[in-house]
Amino acid sequence: MSAILLIAIPLLAAFISILFKKASPYILLFVSFGSVIILGYLPLETITIGGFSAPYGINLVLDQYSLIALYVVDTLFFLIVAIACVKYKKISTVLLVALAGLNGILLTGDLFNLFVFIEVSGIAAYLITTTNKKPLATFNYLVAGTVGSSLYLLGLIILYAMFGTLNMADMSANIASSGLTTAVAFPFLLMFIGLGVEAKLLPFNSWAKGILAHSNKLTGPMIASVYAAAIGFVFGRLLTSVFVFSDKLGLILTIIVIATIVAGEAMAFASGKVREILLFSSIAQSGLVVLIFLQGFVGWGVFLIVANAAGKLILFMIANHASDELGTDEVKAFKGLFVNNKVIGLAFTVASLSAIGLPMFLGFVVKMNILGDLFATGDYLIPAVILITSIVEGIYFVRLLMKLWYKEDNLPVVQYEFVLKYVVVVLAVLIMLFGVYSAPVETTANDIDANTIVEGGNL
Amino acid sequence: MKNFLALVFTLFLGFMIITALSNNEAFPKYGEADVSTRVSQKYLDRSVNGNPGEIIFREATNLESGPANTVTAIVADYRSFDTLGEVTVLFISSLGVALLLGSTKQRRMELDFHPNFMLKVGSRALFGIILMTGIYISIHGHLTPGGGFPGGTMIASSMLLLYLADDEFRAKIKGFKILESAAGSAYVIIGLLGLLIGSYFLENLLNNGVLGYLFSAGMIPIIYVLIGLKVGSEISGVIDNFLTEESV
Amino acid sequence: MLQYAAIVLLMLGLYGLLTQRNIIKIIISLNILEIGLNLFIVSVGFVDGGLAPIFTSVNNSSNLVFVDPLPQALVLTAIVIGVGTTALGLALAKNIYQKYGTFEIDEMGEE
Repeated sequence: MSAILLIAIPLLAAFISILFKKASPYILLFVSFGSVIILGYLPLETITIGGFSAPYGINLVLDQYSLIALYVVDTLFFLIVAIACVKYKKISTVLLVALAGLNGILLTGDLFNLFVFIEVSGIAAYLITTTNKKPLATFNYLVAGTVGSSLYLLGLIILYAMFGTLNMADMSANIASSGLTTAVAFPFLLMFIGLGVEAKLLPFNSWAKGILAHSNKLTGPMIASVYAAAIGFVFGRLLTSVFVFSDKLGLILTIIVIATIVAGEAMAFASGKVREILLFSSIAQSGLVVLIFLQGFVGWGVFLIVANAAGKLILFMIANHASDELGTDEVKAFKGLFVNNKVIGLAFTVASLSAIGLPMFLGFVVKMNILGDLFATGDYLIPAVILITSIVEGIYFVRLLMKLWYKEDNLPVVQYEFVLKYVVVVLAVLIMLFGVYSAPVETTANDIDANTIVEGGNL
Repeated sequence: MKNFLALVFTLFLGFMIITALSNNEAFPKYGEADVSTRVSQKYLDRSVNGNPGEIIFREATNLESGPANTVTAIVADYRSFDTLGEVTVLFISSLGVALLLGSTKQRRMELDFHPNFMLKVGSRALFGIILMTGIYISIHGHLTPGGGFPGGTMIASSMLLLYLADDEFRAKIKGFKILESAAGSAYVIIGLLGLLIGSYFLENLLNNGVLGYLFSAGMIPIIYVLIGLKVGSEISGVIDNFLTEESV
Repeated sequence: MLQYAAIVLLMLGLYGLLTQRNIIKIIISLNILEIGLNLFIVSVGFVDGGLAPIFTSVNNSSNLVFVDPLPQALVLTAIVIGVGTTALGLALAKNIYQKYGTFEIDEMGEE
């Protein structure tokens, strides 16, 4: 069993499934389920492709970090497909390629291969958003994504001209031994901007409003939960293992990220539509994830991504199904939604309270430890920002929840099918479970921190 | 006002890029790149897994990577995983165009002008020549510049010539889809065979022969022919999708 | 000289993307951006007096000075990816025209 199968089998299934259009949703379900199962049998190793070892060939890296990332992304992908594939059959081949692309992003150890797989999963994302039936929003997403990838490639080529290699581990060893920090600041800034477009960081996220504000049951969870988690993991791998920051560059990047968080929370506070509230909260959470990785806390960054992805999956799935049925997503139209759907309401409440960071939920454990580690390093500005934005988040989520549980006449009638209820309940229970019984989370996070710092550039 | 701000921004950004590159002591000036410090030196000498000594055209046998064209050796042998990703990008783009523009009953798009008889007949003669050129470039990818991607594009442009010269022509799309699917699956299956029989995914299993002959370089001509067919059929499918519309 | 031309093309494409309001002109600016980028990548590998990295009956030994072949392989991939995105962009443009009747973003009105 080799991890290359995680990329090769979905690709093969995609190439074959265009001939058997009727059977393609079942092939998709089977392959995505298989990729979750196969993760249990993979040994942790570096896999060489083609017989030429790195840095002269391409290698895939399967260490503890990528194994957790693969588990999270593949499981959430399978859950979304299980719920939404009944309605969107035409798009199954695209979803198979998206699965291969996402696995490729998380596994690869070579910077140009990362660019190719980001393009593969990016184009799959553009096609998934065409189910929104808003071609102008998809076009904006396409232009923004292509410009971002081009900037990333420009930064990568400048680094190649300076150091002569494309492999991640080799590049970080060369940078560390050459001692140049100011000269590499400019290419790093370009690469950061390129990845930041996809991760919805501030000046480059104009596409996010068009796509997620009109999303449906497949697009919303996929882009906001699965893709956001994958890009977050890529940021974590690059920021902690490859990049080296001079102080000025670190300052610029921290300013960009803090501006993202503040703007995201402010716009969510001011919005009156459920999907818009959720999407601005997503933007702020992406900024928070990158901030944590910039400060160097790998383990807790990973768990922030996990908590965030699971929570946003629940929130988007419930909100999108309701807005599909009701035709609108104004908060006024949703008033009293949960009175007749108590189970769904409880899951939504759990997910939003975890996002704020209240005790008893996974979000609380993650935020407490992050704040503790930040205070220990002596920094006071960043914890202050995190606390203030958490309070703002708490206000608007609680306001939303109160409106949705409010009992009055003319309650909106929305039916939720069984599979969706089952999935969101299981995820909500897991969030609560790990919030209360948090010892395994803490040991794993410290484990990842130790392993990554010790190995440094020799992934 | 907005145009002026955009102009100032792009001028500033260009100026910043140029000064950052000229102040960068590790970035070599144009024309002074030192290939021996880069990874490419081992690609040129074919010495990644052991040193074969000096390589002479038409005399060196069974090198670790057989093509005489070093760029082909990189694209199809050393870094063939990137080529697999690239093939997937084209596949999903043509699939996306078919999803966006496709419909069930189709006929050629109505245009204002109609090509005349001489154009229709003359283009058929030219079609064969362009097709032959495309196949030649695709097969000789390991000896001359080119390879599967330009070859496939030439094959597709011969189809485009037929579409433009005759406003009632439609190719057999079903055949293209089968060809595309078969070629793509064959590429992944070759890779998986490398994993099962050899020990690495996409390993070159056949003998690499003598450098410079047509039958050399192991599996690379086969891979390039598959890629040429795939690219040709995909782009022809895209052309067909753009030039048809729903029939009433 | 070549690298300056590549940077100028990059900036031209970026200027076009920031200011144009017509869908087709935006796609053309995107293509100009990608051409500039590919030109820059190839220029990174040039060696003065180097030969094309192909063994032929004239350049038949590996002791000669060749240019860097790796950026050329990277550009092959980048060009194909650009073609894929352009094809998708044009198909979306056709759908936009069928839905709104115009290519100008300012005339399209609703979100």
